[in-house]
Amino acid sequence: MDENKNKKPQAVVEIIEFGPLKISGNFTLKDIKRDKEESPGEIWLCRCGKSNNKPYCDESHKK
Amino acid sequence: MEKDEKHFSGGKRYRNKDITVYWKPSTCIHASYCYRELIEVFDPSRRPWVDMEGSTTEKIIEVVNLCPTDALTWKYNDEALNEDVRADQYNHVKFRRPELIGSINDTVEETPVSVKVMIDGPVVIKGDFDFINGTTRKEVRDGMISICRCGVSDHQPFCDGRHRKIGFTG
Repeated sequence: MDENKNKKPQAVVEIIEFGPLKISGNFTLKDIKRDKEESPGEIWLCRCGKSNNKPYCDESHKK
Repeated sequence: MEKDEKHFSGGKRYRNKDITVYWKPSTCIHASYCYRELIEVFDPSRRPWVDMEGSTTEKIIEVVNLCPTDALTWKYNDEALNEDVRADQYNHVKFRRPELIGSINDTVEETPVSVKVMIDGPVVIKGDFDFINGTTRKEVRDGMISICRCGVSDHQPFCDGRHRKIGFTG
């Protein structure tokens, strides 16, 4: 039996094209550098490297 | 002391090696059978208030069956045994809370996905999640992916280690 069959997804991780990484659902976010841990439910993380509010997206990728 | 207290939809569940007891506080009418009959297991003054090691499995089943509502229900951890349970087991989930039948694996596996933002590096995501990348949706179970945060990976959207070469900070 494949026990993974019974497993439900706890979260959805989505790559937004030319945009951030969206994560929603049951997850914990651990930001090691800034020593923060939270369970926000939904976040958008920067993927372009230009955000001034890392690790979050601040829409700098549009500039 | 009770170690295995977990949340599930509508309440909490408690397990020993044989059975799982579900506690749904919203339907409790405080009839008090549980703690009058078996204070060693059901002690409202203690946290967690249910100690599954406080008595035998047989006794716990007997007392849960006394609960006049579906505030306390139970089932065997071995799903095969649940199929043969008969109606004289008044508070078995089969009769009281059919929505919980077959859900033991789901409740056990409801571990939050771990999202770690690495120092000056990628974001590492571990666990059971659906991964949407463009038009594809992949069911990742007990898996791990590493997503680029610096923007220069040649293997987008995944990290290929280039953040180190460009001196990415963030």
